Amino acid sequence: MKKKKVAAASIALVTAIAIAGCANGASTDAAAKTLVFDTTFDLKTSDPGRAFELTGQTIDKAIYETALTFDKGDLTKPVPQLTTYKLSDDQKTLTLTLTGTHTFSSGNPVTIDDIVFSYQRLQAIAGNPSFLLTNLSTNTPFTITKTSDTTLTITTDTPYPALPYILANPSLGVLDSKTLQKHGGTNTKDDASETYLNTTSAGSGPYQIESLDVKTKVVLTANPKYAGTKPAYSRVVFQNVLSPSQKTDIQGGQAQLSVGLNSQQVAGLASDTIKVLTSTSPNVGYLWLNQDPAYSGGITNNPQFTAAVRTGIDYSGVLAVAGNGAIQPGGIIPTQFLGAIKPDATNTFDLAAAKQSLAASGYSGQTLQISYPTDFTLDGVEFGTLAQKIQAQLQAVGIKVELAGLPITTLLQNFRAGKVQAGLMYWGPDFPDPSDYTTFSPGNPVGLRAGWTADQSPAVTAARKAAEAAVGDARAAAYETWQREANKAGVFIALLQAPRNYVTTGGISNVIPNAVWTVDVALIK
Amino acid sequence: MTAPATLIRRPRIAPVWRRPLAIVGILFVSFWFITMIIVPFLPLADPLAQDFTPLSPPSGTHPFGTDILGRDVLSRTLFGSRATLPFAILLVIISLILGSLVGAIAGYFGGVIDEIIMRIADLVFAFPTIVLAMVVAAALGPGITNAVIALALISWPNYARVIRSLVLSARNQEYVVAGRLLGAGPLSSLRRDILPNVASPMLVLAMLDLGSQILLLSGLSFLGLGAVPPAAEWGSMVGDGVQQFSNWWLAAFPGLAILTVVVGFNFIGDTLRDSLDPRSANAVTQVNA
Repeated sequence: MKKKKVAAASIALVTAIAIAGCANGASTDAAAKTLVFDTTFDLKTSDPGRAFELTGQTIDKAIYETALTFDKGDLTKPVPQLTTYKLSDDQKTLTLTLTGTHTFSSGNPVTIDDIVFSYQRLQAIAGNPSFLLTNLSTNTPFTITKTSDTTLTITTDTPYPALPYILANPSLGVLDSKTLQKHGGTNTKDDASETYLNTTSAGSGPYQIESLDVKTKVVLTANPKYAGTKPAYSRVVFQNVLSPSQKTDIQGGQAQLSVGLNSQQVAGLASDTIKVLTSTSPNVGYLWLNQDPAYSGGITNNPQFTAAVRTGIDYSGVLAVAGNGAIQPGGIIPTQFLGAIKPDATNTFDLAAAKQSLAASGYSGQTLQISYPTDFTLDGVEFGTLAQKIQAQLQAVGIKVELAGLPITTLLQNFRAGKVQAGLMYWGPDFPDPSDYTTFSPGNPVGLRAGWTADQSPAVTAARKAAEAAVGDARAAAYETWQREANKAGVFIALLQAPRNYVTTGGISNVIPNAVWTVDVALIK
Repeated sequence: MTAPATLIRRPRIAPVWRRPLAIVGILFVSFWFITMIIVPFLPLADPLAQDFTPLSPPSGTHPFGTDILGRDVLSRTLFGSRATLPFAILLVIISLILGSLVGAIAGYFGGVIDEIIMRIADLVFAFPTIVLAMVVAAALGPGITNAVIALALISWPNYARVIRSLVLSARNQEYVVAGRLLGAGPLSSLRRDILPNVASPMLVLAMLDLGSQILLLSGLSFLGLGAVPPAAEWGSMVGDGVQQFSNWWLAAFPGLAILTVVVGFNFIGDTLRDSLDPRSANAVTQVNA
């Protein structure tokens, strides 16, 4: 009797599971418009004024519109979104003019007051991205002024051609000021609307927040008030998944998009249903050689020794470590940006030239210590692996190399104090404009970290000043010249930009990589 | 003429050493010790040479595959024994000497000296081993020598505590008291009368500790605080392998090396304990009988 009951219960259970399975299948149609996006979260908040991490930028791009934006993946020219723009001839004033009709998810129209409020709030709350609305040369905040119901101006005290490029950053997303002010939002440092913005979005972008958990999952649903083209997916689920699990999710069809698999993980993954799109990360990995005699060990400030290192590195071998899709930028400016250059004779592998330079330097077997971060990767590529590759290459030239792995916080502390002989580090763009990179010039903050003072390389300083003063079409050439001059001095050696892999399945298309916000989910079809 | 059966002498191997676990332990440890000595003479690739196709799976040419820099994993795994075993033994010897000295002083003299020494030992015990080792190793900087110093600084209390208790029970034995009455000073009493009687348990403890010290050393290297790249070291090899999860051979073979050597030392330690402890030895004899 008891056995019969167990058997009946088992049959009932199996039937229930089968029905549940069918129900799941039946709901596929209804959920067909859901996009599941696997990525490893570095999310802290979705408040655009406070978020400056990769995941936050992707999410804020979907929720908020910005005054200007970039067309798909093209970062060389800002295009209108909420406004059009005009930069004054002296490059000090940017005038924005409202264009078309845009509506927040609350139903309120987007006005000039909202833009002014959002920008002033960003400046006041001192969040991670607040520096974007500050003139970095003079360290003074931009002045934001409403000039009419349809125009506003952003002014600064020195020429600032990067201004339009900065405004496309999702951190400058325009907030619904009327709604926000009802929930603690102000354009002063007393703003208390972050919690509200993490539960209910206040933007005019294609999506709005359904739920948000910074540690596990973010769900967005389409914003019915969005003025642009309706997104193909009415619901987007961002899942925080480590890369090995991302791979199984994609293979099992539990996710349609994954960004975070490295080259080794995507090898052999492509099939009829799984597509792998490889783009290049804008983060530039570089090696620096300290010019301060106190920390140079008598070698890294020797121009001939520097030349030996630059030509002794087999860049193709370094790129091979990072996998397919990795590229070598010619200078410190990444290849996607205005002013990028191709590698020149100073950073092309030439073993014979390297040995010749080393002999000319008077090198007598001193140790070159290369420091690197042990707990941080360059878009999934271990700095330790890169360091070992370079060590083997330089030893082939005849340079004795010792490696010193340090936690990134310790290394950064020593590097910032200018006390590290040589090391590997990376620079991620704050905004897609070459002016973000002049910090690598002698006498400027990152230059000084390598003990590189302005008087050591007047030609580089002059080229930097010319680049900063250049306007319009002349900017690209000016920044190219600056980098070539910097390459001659040789203090910073741009090594690589690692690949960034976008893996898709389930027939989704139109995944367009973007160096600022990774991907615009509203464009995916 | 054949010799009487009673005169045939069988090899004198104690029954405990004939147990399967003891044999497995001896085989594992012997393998790694022999490898450590002869590996430079074996026809293997240079463990540092980045000459091969990166990330090749195990094959006839590379039985353990190659790593991300195109180095032969078999060669690196076998050479890894030279970066692990000597340092682990050195570490145990340092901890043993330091701990024994301090523990013997505490136990023999007692009083304030005992209190001070044992409270310091308690202080070290209060922290999780690997965390304290990480702190010390991070302060000293990466490097296998610094890792040994870091681990020695935190490992001595184990020995100190055991030897203190042994000395405490031995110092009131009649033969020790008799020695003192015959004019032996504290040091010669410790050396002549007490040390020989506490040596066996310390040897067992040291043997059992070897396994855990190898694990700790590898753990520090895994965390980037031990061996400095490009040295072939098991812990750092496992660490690299974890970053390349889909290339299973990177972490699996050095992981197996750690497993076999640690298990080997533990089996030998267990057997040594059974053979030196009269009560367990009797128990084993009875079971075997």
